[in-house]
Amino acid sequence: MKSITRRSVTTVTRLLAPWAILVAFAGSAIASHVDVSVATVGEVTVGETVAIPVALHTMDGSPLAGTVVTFYLHMSFAGVEGEAEIGRAVTDEDGVASLAYRPRLAGHHELRMEYLAAGRSDIESTTTVIEVTGGAQLYHSPAGVDVPGVGVELLMVVLATVWSILFWVVLRIVAIARAGGEVREAALGARR
Amino acid sequence: MAALNDWQNRLEETALGPVRRTGRRFWAVVAILLAIIGWGLYAYSVQLRDGLVVTGMRDRISWGLYIATFVFFIGISHAGTLISAILRVSNARWRTPVTRMAEFVTVVALICGASFVVIDLGRPDRVLNVFIYGRWQSPIIWDVLAITTYLTASVTYLFVPMIPDLALFRDRLAGRSSRWRGSLYRTLAIGWHGRPAQWRSLTSAIGVLMILIIPIAVSVHTVVSWIFAMTMRVPWDSALFGAFFVAGAIFSGIAILIIVMAILRRTYHLEEYVTEKHFVYLGYLMAAFAAIMIYANISELLVHGYKLQEGVEFHFRQLFLAEFAPLFWFYLLGGLCAPIVIALVPATRNVRGIVAAAILVTLAMWIERYFIVVTGLRVPLMPYEPASYAPTWVEWSLLAAGLAAFALLITLFTKLFPIIAVWEVAEDHEASAVQAGTGIPARAIPATADSPRLAEEAGR
Repeated sequence: MKSITRRSVTTVTRLLAPWAILVAFAGSAIASHVDVSVATVGEVTVGETVAIPVALHTMDGSPLAGTVVTFYLHMSFAGVEGEAEIGRAVTDEDGVASLAYRPRLAGHHELRMEYLAAGRSDIESTTTVIEVTGGAQLYHSPAGVDVPGVGVELLMVVLATVWSILFWVVLRIVAIARAGGEVREAALGARR
Repeated sequence: MAALNDWQNRLEETALGPVRRTGRRFWAVVAILLAIIGWGLYAYSVQLRDGLVVTGMRDRISWGLYIATFVFFIGISHAGTLISAILRVSNARWRTPVTRMAEFVTVVALICGASFVVIDLGRPDRVLNVFIYGRWQSPIIWDVLAITTYLTASVTYLFVPMIPDLALFRDRLAGRSSRWRGSLYRTLAIGWHGRPAQWRSLTSAIGVLMILIIPIAVSVHTVVSWIFAMTMRVPWDSALFGAFFVAGAIFSGIAILIIVMAILRRTYHLEEYVTEKHFVYLGYLMAAFAAIMIYANISELLVHGYKLQEGVEFHFRQLFLAEFAPLFWFYLLGGLCAPIVIALVPATRNVRGIVAAAILVTLAMWIERYFIVVTGLRVPLMPYEPASYAPTWVEWSLLAAGLAAFALLITLFTKLFPIIAVWEVAEDHEASAVQAGTGIPARAIPATADSPRLAEEAGR
């Protein structure tokens, strides 16, 4: 009895497993009102721009055109987790909304797509995952505008000028002291 | 001529008075201030031992009371620049009795302000890293350079016009004060005897310094503002910040000067020289800068509010309606509008009214500096809950110690140096007498500041 049960479970699992794997890899989800599918993007390298198409269809298979799909990226920074909106796209006549996404960091990127189907009041969503490889540093400061004559040298010239003037003032103080010394010597000479 | 000599003697006695007489009240004030500073040092030792975790500052709000107080002190250091340099350049003669106090407020405020940056570092042993690893492209380096230059120029500008008065102290107190005091005045007077060559050097040095110090002072607070404005924070994203900070600095500088003037006037009976006229004129200046500040605030808030970039809405809400609203409205109404009303209404346009307005301005400007720092950092950069910041007892203790150090240095200064620019006040009095037609010869008064001892020696 036990072996029959085990064999039945194994058979059902073997039959369902490929379907489960297929569904998981395709990233498809059966929403309550809309049939949504996200094409698998596969492996992407940092800096490479990939399209993330999301197809929305009604339950009878006709495409949902004109629906706004908002894309969120799950982020983690300094121990704080949250979602950041990375873009929006509108479904075309085939019901496909596609977002051009350029990952800037390597790793496991979890995306969530949110949409509100026409005539519905509940916001629905689906998720997909992109594995990003590579270690290119994408955050570069722009070189800036190089205006001739404006730079550290100008700062040095201004500083040198100011301190030169202050030095000149110190020389005036020295002149006062020297004049005072002459008076003292003259007074002492007169006393002698 | 006899009347003028009497007046001159009275002026010199008034200037020498604080040095000659020291009562119990002075030592009581010094003891209280030292006790506050001592408590502050204990708080600082706790911070050094345990680190900045004993403060309310954390990763998201990483600047707080210390940096707000640093900006406040650098702001009030503009008192000396405005009163002494700008009014000297514009030849406003009424300034002479208050210039010395203003110049000393500048130097003391700069020393106190700079120390708050070191306190904020947490690891003061790393302060030299600014010079070792600093980059010319960084506003922090510009700030260090600007403040160092301003402190040097301010000390020089305090010292140079004081030389004839130091010579007066040297001569009048010779043999009547302690040895160290006599030695101090002899050294600092650098052999001043009022010779024409010495006057020429002094006049040219003051002339150059008074022009030089104005752009340096403006640059200092502009660079302080850039530390904020060049950081990627929405509330600080403003090209107006430099001018805004400079106007606020002069505004708060005048207020502090009025308060210091009122205290010293009452303590050392300077009513004959620091008159109601000085308070009213400074009150007018303060009201003018209050108007400039109102304009700057409207310009800043309206432009930001009209565009309402992400984050500005949160910033406006916290300032006008939520957590910081009561103090922010006090700043706008009590700190900016009230001083104008007080200066314009004849019933309040007197010493008490102007001092009350100055106290309001001082409180409001400190609050404004606090808001710039803390509310600016509080706006979230990421989708997280806004951080909160509340200063701890360590921070409040160090703030109290900083203010006590400011008061103590000014108190000690009054006991060591002439608080009135004797020769300048005398020169002003002389000019007034000449204008009145008494025909007193030019440079008669400063010459009396020459050394009587040397005149005696020459006579022999």
